[in-house]
Amino acid sequence: MAAHTVTSVHHPLQSLTQTFKAKTFKPQNIKCKPTSIVISSKLRAAVIGGGPAGSSAAEALASGGIETYIFERSPEAAKPCGGAIPLCMLDEFSIPSHLVDRKVTQMKIISPSNLTVDFGKTLKPHEFISMLRREVLDNFLRLRAKEKGATLIKALVTNIELPLSEKSPYIIHYISNNTHGSLTVDIIVGADGANSKVAKSIKAGNYACAIAFQERIQLPEDKMKYYENLAEMYVGDDVSPDFYAWVFPKCDHVAVGTGTVCSKQNIKQFQGAIRNRVKPKIEGGKIIKVEAHPIPEHPRPTRVRGRVALVGDAAGYVTKCSGEGIYFAAKSGRMCGEAIVRASENGKKMIDEADLKREYLRKWDDEFFCTFKFLDVLQKVFYGSNAGREALVELCGKEYVQRMTFESYLYKKIAKGNPLEDVKMAMNTIGSLIRCNIVGREMMDDAFDGKMLLKL
Amino acid sequence: MSSMAIFSPKLPTLNPSPSNSYGKTHFSFKPYLPLRPTKKLHFHLLVSADNGSGVAATVEEDTPLSSEEAVGSNGSPVPPPTEAADLVAEPVSSFQDARWVGGTWDLKQFAKDGNTDWDAVIDAEVKRRKWMEDNPESSSNENPVVFDTSIIPWWAWMKRFHLPEAELLNGLTHSFLSTHVLEFTCIECHLTVLHELYAGRAAMIGFFMAYFVDSLTGVGLVDQMGNFFCKTLLFVAVAGVLLIRKNEDIETVKKLIEETTFYDKQWQATWQDDNTKQS
Repeated sequence: MAAHTVTSVHHPLQSLTQTFKAKTFKPQNIKCKPTSIVISSKLRAAVIGGGPAGSSAAEALASGGIETYIFERSPEAAKPCGGAIPLCMLDEFSIPSHLVDRKVTQMKIISPSNLTVDFGKTLKPHEFISMLRREVLDNFLRLRAKEKGATLIKALVTNIELPLSEKSPYIIHYISNNTHGSLTVDIIVGADGANSKVAKSIKAGNYACAIAFQERIQLPEDKMKYYENLAEMYVGDDVSPDFYAWVFPKCDHVAVGTGTVCSKQNIKQFQGAIRNRVKPKIEGGKIIKVEAHPIPEHPRPTRVRGRVALVGDAAGYVTKCSGEGIYFAAKSGRMCGEAIVRASENGKKMIDEADLKREYLRKWDDEFFCTFKFLDVLQKVFYGSNAGREALVELCGKEYVQRMTFESYLYKKIAKGNPLEDVKMAMNTIGSLIRCNIVGREMMDDAFDGKMLLKL
Repeated sequence: MSSMAIFSPKLPTLNPSPSNSYGKTHFSFKPYLPLRPTKKLHFHLLVSADNGSGVAATVEEDTPLSSEEAVGSNGSPVPPPTEAADLVAEPVSSFQDARWVGGTWDLKQFAKDGNTDWDAVIDAEVKRRKWMEDNPESSSNENPVVFDTSIIPWWAWMKRFHLPEAELLNGLTHSFLSTHVLEFTCIECHLTVLHELYAGRAAMIGFFMAYFVDSLTGVGLVDQMGNFFCKTLLFVAVAGVLLIRKNEDIETVKKLIEETTFYDKQWQATWQDDNTKQS
């Protein structure tokens, strides 16, 4: 039973009683086999954070018979987020279609010189990018976790006491309805986002973050029609030195925003620039909300310590290049929850750090590192300069590139390519990069000559 | 074709030193205060009070927007006060050029001696992109830009890319060979010649000139080429000068390798605990 000082917690799945199975040794037999520690009550797990990562972890844990608690400080809050999820997430997480506000079937990418490419030419009729409101999605996932047996606690976690010994529990201190409480658990899943308190408590280390800034703008009906199923991506030094700016359609408005890692102090300038780039398309609109949030750039130095595992943004699972995080949050939460269930044999055994690393972290890295790495390389090659961005947009005009990109994004699987087309794509990539860099270099020479002339 | 030169422009800024790689997690968002109180539209920035566990900044409206405030006089959305004039650089005019028609260059206007003057097209595009960089303008649905650099044939780009440097170095090579040809009696001298030939075309020209000199003087320079070791060294030298056009490229390559593997190290970091414990 969990030690809970505020309210008595009656868990529907009452812990099973099992006695310790002690091994008897013959005096002359000095070899000791390690005993599996079978606990007298069910394993207790706390998931800190009730977003996609936390809810998915809690659902997997509760489904596996573990006594699960989810802590969420603001269940009703609308989180600042792009709100886009791939097709595979709808299937894998059984998300009903009525939660989807918009199905984006067209995408435009605009280069610094305003070369505009229609990026959705190869999408099939049943393929789209789903746009959802985070408060709607998160609520759905949380309720489902609750239905599986997790206990939702609306509270702010203030402190986590680490165990004094290997077998001691963790103690979570929190505030709920202006009342202090504490909960004793065996395992913690840290799903509390980019500013994770769980990460701080286990000294998981810091990571570099980008800042994403967006304005939600309500458009006149005729302007909104243009964005009915269309999203736009803008690249250029004016809108971001190391990321992209976007116009994403939401339920009844658009989100216009941008992000940066290296130049956070200029974020409002970049926001002004993206508004300028889309000016004719948002004329007559009304800004209804302005929001910003950090986005992790890479995994934390430590993602598992003791019996604490980090998932989602708290772990740093956001891709470069696209800044996608929702799917990986949900997937990592589920993977972590299932790993705990497996390692603990449905909550009957205590687990340790090695179990978490083997069953969750190893599997996660093996499955997804390549995807993250590939997007990191793309970002380095294409996002670093206007020349790179021009090359990116040129390449995005090629149908093969579009097909491969969307198949990889929508299904999170390495798309089956054609070797000949792959070679052509590689040649086109090199060609575009060279041409655009020649132009870029001559632009710099022109600028230098101009400055020299001014000096003279 | 030197692919290393692709990376000679600015690389993405990424500080590889471990002490800086794990930057501050916390994100500070300064409260936004309007600096022009005469503006009717006010925004307050609320930072969620959450003991520092999250700083998701949301801006709430202070006063309800009236219909005339909601729509600015020019029909554009009303930005938060102080930002419109400070942040948005209003373009003076959109890009104008008689040869820029329908979102692309009208190649008929670049005709020279019956052919298209591709150099002039490249020059025009360089100027246009420079103008766009200095004066970012709104993209237009009605007049989209469709020009892309693949319209210009590859050989025009090759000329542009290699020619200036190759011509310079070819001249240097020619004068070097003609004054030093009698000193070429060993592999080391041969490699010195190649080491000084930076551009691919100049390297090949220099190499064949060595053959020509050898055939004229019988100095035995090219006889060295019958040797496998020499051929390998020659191959390495030529490949090196093709790929590394300038000394700066070596540093660029080193930096590139460091930056390429940096992300891998960030992913591996969590496993370092294990290695530390085991050692």
